[in-house]
Amino acid sequence: MDNIVHSNIALFILIQLVSLLYLVTTVLYGAHFFKDATPAARYKQPALALTVLVHVLYLGLLTSIEGYKLSYSTFNLMSMVALTLAITYIFIEFTTKSDKTGFFVLAFSAGAQLISSIFTAQSSGAGPAFTGFGIGVHLIAAIFGFSAIAIAGLYSFLYLLLFRQIQKNRFELLFQRLPNLEVLERLTMHAVAFGFIFLSITLFAGIIEQKASGEAITLFEPRLVSLVVIWLIYGASIFVRPITGWDLKHMAYLFIALFVFITALILLMTFFSPSFHGLALQNGPYYFTSPYI
Amino acid sequence: MNIISVGVNHKTAPIEIRERIALSEVQNKEFITDLISSGLAHEAMVLSTCNRTELYVVPAMSEVTGEYLKEYLIAYKDARKEVRPEHFFSRFYCGTARHLFEVSSAIDSLVLGEGQILGQVKDAYRIAAEVQAAGILITRLCHTAFSVAKKVKTKTKIMEGAVSVSYAAVELAQKIFSNLSMKKILLIGAGETGELAAKHMCQKNARNIVITNRTLSKAETLAEELGTGKVLPFETYKEHLHEFDIIITAVSTKEYILREPEMQQSMQKRRLKPVIILDLGLPRNVDPDISRLQNMFLKDIDALKHIIDKNLERRRAELPKVHSIIEEELVSFGQWINTLKVRPTIVDLQSKFIEIKEKELERYRYKVSEEELKRMEHLTDRILKKILHHPIKMLKAPIDTSDSIPSRVNLVRNIFDLEEPNQ
Repeated sequence: MDNIVHSNIALFILIQLVSLLYLVTTVLYGAHFFKDATPAARYKQPALALTVLVHVLYLGLLTSIEGYKLSYSTFNLMSMVALTLAITYIFIEFTTKSDKTGFFVLAFSAGAQLISSIFTAQSSGAGPAFTGFGIGVHLIAAIFGFSAIAIAGLYSFLYLLLFRQIQKNRFELLFQRLPNLEVLERLTMHAVAFGFIFLSITLFAGIIEQKASGEAITLFEPRLVSLVVIWLIYGASIFVRPITGWDLKHMAYLFIALFVFITALILLMTFFSPSFHGLALQNGPYYFTSPYI
Repeated sequence: MNIISVGVNHKTAPIEIRERIALSEVQNKEFITDLISSGLAHEAMVLSTCNRTELYVVPAMSEVTGEYLKEYLIAYKDARKEVRPEHFFSRFYCGTARHLFEVSSAIDSLVLGEGQILGQVKDAYRIAAEVQAAGILITRLCHTAFSVAKKVKTKTKIMEGAVSVSYAAVELAQKIFSNLSMKKILLIGAGETGELAAKHMCQKNARNIVITNRTLSKAETLAEELGTGKVLPFETYKEHLHEFDIIITAVSTKEYILREPEMQQSMQKRRLKPVIILDLGLPRNVDPDISRLQNMFLKDIDALKHIIDKNLERRRAELPKVHSIIEEELVSFGQWINTLKVRPTIVDLQSKFIEIKEKELERYRYKVSEEELKRMEHLTDRILKKILHHPIKMLKAPIDTSDSIPSRVNLVRNIFDLEEPNQ
């Protein structure tokens, strides 16, 4: 079986380039955050814009092979998560005027893209590609939902870091560079709100498509159960918090735990149980076997 | 043309000496007017602040040296008993320029990077200009110093971060809350420290400041001054603690004015929304156990001093950048000074050629028409401009040492047969 990346020179170059650009951009954001390096400050934003542009080109080329259909391969989805995170971060930087959290978000993006690139280049196929509006909405909403979970987890982590720095009177680098606690709290809660919306869409689109297709999915599949639990917790955070006055410090631990758990679960299931909610990835109404599998 | 600076500052003399030698604005004007009118100096300026009194003088005679100016100032202040020349520093030529650049960019200040000094240098220049004691040299020196200070402020972080306790309190509050204008602040104590902290809060757009004080009238006066007009009676402020996001305490007391049980109650009432208590009192006003409460940030003076120390450390790390800006400006200032030395030669050269041009044109005045004469004049102007371009450029060209200036000047003077300039 031919590897799609190895058989397409443009794709081969782009996949290397995307990973490299993510690494360079992360290093630039890191150099600006930790070392306050002037060249890093000057070039980090153009580097991020270029990274996103090249990434879009890469995904365009990758999906064009299947007629621009989404491929259900965890590695491809990870690449899309990396892209949505980068785009979300650009939006955050633009709206909050704070460019100091980029390193933390983009480091995760770079990690996700790097894993995606390595495994995409090694796997024998891109996985089955999906067709149909409902399943498309389900998958895209899931990608954005996971990105929101990642953002909520990362900003919760930064919130706790700064909280502890202030409490321990450590007025050093993180105290100086990170946005204030209220901004971090707002970003976390916005991510939670967006996460709740996207997970709601994911679940409802999934239910509707499942009913329409009549396919029997495993209801107690770990990913599905975890997403429902996260959806409930996020919903409670949004709607119950204003009434009960939960403080973000404790919620932050929960958001971090959820992020770590769901990331680990997705990765583990990719390696040990590669199925789509209990459906074998061979035949079915939504997908067809890719020609290069 | 030399420029001398002498003076006392926090590095050279203790505060008693600095106080003794300081000049008020009236004395400043009188002193520099005396220096100019007595023919001792072409130009003069005095920078007198709480930390320094410094003279910047362009001497009019060779007898006016640094030592002479020190004695002159001591005599003017009638301070021979207390002040000695050893309390002074003295600098010459580029040393003077470097010193003023360092002073203006606040790296020579007692508190590194403090922002007031530039305004004080501007005031000193304004006074010198008012009494017409600021000539070409001092004007250029001061304007270069202002430009250095501006570059330092924009290109380095030497002035960033709080370096006073009250300002550090505001900096800390801003690291917790994003918009102080949306926060309710309680100031307990309307003394000097509390007032300063409240004013800093106001500068950062805090608008909702409520003041409480044992003497209510004092609280009312401060509230009026701040423009908030909000006060609480000292006896009842504890009933309202839950309403406030920031509490600043600065009262003189031997007992804690805020204790854990009342703050715990207040936190429950406000559903654990974060609160910052800035205890600026000495002895401390707030029970330290309060810091154990959830979402409570209690900071005393020691904690705020940590912020100041870190900020000063960061400012010190910026010093190499500041020095490099100063070096750059110093080179161009030195080159400008050198052009002053060649200016008479340039003027003589231009005059000589204009004279030749006018003599030659005069010979044709009645031989050609008015229009033709104008054309000839225009043509000769262009030729002269082209001929003189290179010699003038060569005279003005940057040089490493001022020693090579006389040789350049002599060369041009000999070639073009210029008369010796008047000294």
